[in-house]
Amino acid sequence: MLPWNYGFEWNAAHIIFLGAFYTVLVVVATTVVSALIRARRDLGAKETEAIRWHSDFEELPVSDRVCRHVLTGEFRERTCPNAFDCRHCETHGKWIEHHPMAQHPEFEEDVLGMAFPLDRFYHRGHTWARPEEDGTVTVGIDELGERLLGVPDAVELPAPGARIQTNGTAFRVHKRDADVRILSPVDGEVIETGGPGRGWYLRVKPDATGEPAFRHLLRGAEVKAWLNREMERLQLALVSEGAAPTLADGGVPVDDIAASYPEADWDAVCGEMFLE
Amino acid sequence: MDKQFITRGVQRCSTGKFLSWMLPWAVLLAFGLLSAGLCLIKGLNQTNMDNRFAFGLWIFLDLTVIALGAGAFFTGFLLYILKVKELRAVINSAVVIGLVCYSGAVCVLAVDVGQPLRAWFTFWYPNVHSMLTEVTFCISCYLTVLMIEYLPIVLKNRQLREVPSFLLFEHELHKLVYVLAGVGTFLSFFHQGSLGGLYGVLRGRPFAFREGLAVWPSTFFLFILSAAAVGPSFILLTTWLVEKISRKRLVRPEVFRLLGRISGLLLAVYTLAKSVDTLIWINRTSPESGFAAWQYYSWKPFGTWILFAEIVLFGLLPALILLTPRLRLHTGWLVSAAALACFGVALNRFVMTVQTLALPTLSFDPFLSYFPSWQEVGTFLAVVAYGVLVYSFSFRYFNLFPEERELKLQMAAQEEEAALAGRY
Repeated sequence: MLPWNYGFEWNAAHIIFLGAFYTVLVVVATTVVSALIRARRDLGAKETEAIRWHSDFEELPVSDRVCRHVLTGEFRERTCPNAFDCRHCETHGKWIEHHPMAQHPEFEEDVLGMAFPLDRFYHRGHTWARPEEDGTVTVGIDELGERLLGVPDAVELPAPGARIQTNGTAFRVHKRDADVRILSPVDGEVIETGGPGRGWYLRVKPDATGEPAFRHLLRGAEVKAWLNREMERLQLALVSEGAAPTLADGGVPVDDIAASYPEADWDAVCGEMFLE
Repeated sequence: MDKQFITRGVQRCSTGKFLSWMLPWAVLLAFGLLSAGLCLIKGLNQTNMDNRFAFGLWIFLDLTVIALGAGAFFTGFLLYILKVKELRAVINSAVVIGLVCYSGAVCVLAVDVGQPLRAWFTFWYPNVHSMLTEVTFCISCYLTVLMIEYLPIVLKNRQLREVPSFLLFEHELHKLVYVLAGVGTFLSFFHQGSLGGLYGVLRGRPFAFREGLAVWPSTFFLFILSAAAVGPSFILLTTWLVEKISRKRLVRPEVFRLLGRISGLLLAVYTLAKSVDTLIWINRTSPESGFAAWQYYSWKPFGTWILFAEIVLFGLLPALILLTPRLRLHTGWLVSAAALACFGVALNRFVMTVQTLALPTLSFDPFLSYFPSWQEVGTFLAVVAYGVLVYSFSFRYFNLFPEERELKLQMAAQEEEAALAGRY
């Protein structure tokens, strides 16, 4: 059948079959080799974190992928097509051109008894980024995130000098059975590390400064709308992971939510809330 | 104990419960391996097949599982080539089912053919006049494709994707999966057809012999159509079964209905084609071979009921159910129709394999009967056990149903609403 095989003849039937068979083998082998080469190229270009986030984002429930403008009621319905990176979003760019978003450093938003100072920007994975006067950016976990994690069992921080990417892993926190990847709100180089007791986790020298560098982060009036949505998500996550629904209207989340729900699958709750 | 390997946000039973579910299947697999081992070591004298009855339970099993496993190629074709996005909900499960069916079929074929150390002869010294050569080449290639398609599912495991190389390879391979889907469709089209074709060209067996188009007998096309028709039904059926066994919602009802509609449409076309083919065979092909068609059905238990069951009970009836929108709304009807369609393809493959060989064709031929030996049954059961084990393992550790997490949250929301409604 094959040219070097017993029985092979150079006629149309043999050549068509042989051609089809070899074409299939070549296509399959090329596909696998091509995937290997591309993966190697991605590894060299340090694309791992970006690809991990895109993969995670695609697997989030549709309801968790809604555009920030839906949270605020500006749009009725829209799924984010940019994996929460509004820096490249034309729609968001046009919107803020016509509706500038104000920051109010003097205010502090109080949502269900949790403080959300408006001197910083918030990432939808429950981290914040605060631009400092010396040009650095301080990164921390917002108050809802802190109440979810309580006192962490362990924290894995990157070493000073390490690079972090927006939506990539900033650091990891272990709490009970949960091993949570905390997403970075900014691109940059870590210059100092803090910890749970210091109120912040990383000090970063950002790759870019100014408003466009923080365009993808929530601010001002968006924060309250987003948090109301987050409380609904938390409620659902708790119910679906085996905790009784207890967040009645007007209630305030306790300091260590994990301790209040010993029966809940905390790994799943944290995965849901920290967008992993 | 193994929680860190299970997809985050989905619930699976305890390790102990999982192992106790796997144990009986593992025992069955061990028994099957013993049976297959006996056949390989001692030869086909361990079976009840002989030179006259050379195709038995194993070939019936092969043809059936390959037809049922067609859901993998057909779902891949619909999702990646025709962009029917809703089928993303079942594609991973379809790939695992396809892999289990095809690898199981190849293993049983290896036992049936024997001499595993000479398995490579089929590629090196192929019989250029046999349709089975095309089947062998296509199935081997498609099994390779299925294994490559299974790879991203495995590499997406929660712990494996922590390894950057695995994560990136999975991502890049997944981006090229449409190429594999295209190749899979091409290969499946031909080997499903060739499996049917190999019966249709049996001039010495007028019960199976069919006319056709150019070199392809009608059975070539009927096998392709029937496999494409029952593939979605089998996915529907297995998904429903997994939902019942695991007591979880895995896909949205709309996906079940879509699978049903696709299956119903193709089943209707198949039933029509099969009916036309049967009429041509009764009125022309068979008489030209010197047999009146009724003669085939005078040998009990193969009466005309079998033809009626094949075309009406397991063809027309499920097609009508699946094509009726009102009935598709009910899971009971959907699942029953899908089960009937799957039985139908199994019956068709049984008829083509066993009835064809049992019927006498020469005046001195006796009517043959065949009953498989326990070694044959054991090998058959090994494939079933192997399938259950691989699927159960995959269901536990890999994300076979991407919508499961979202559906869990939706159910929680409904429960929450119900609780609030009860409170106020």
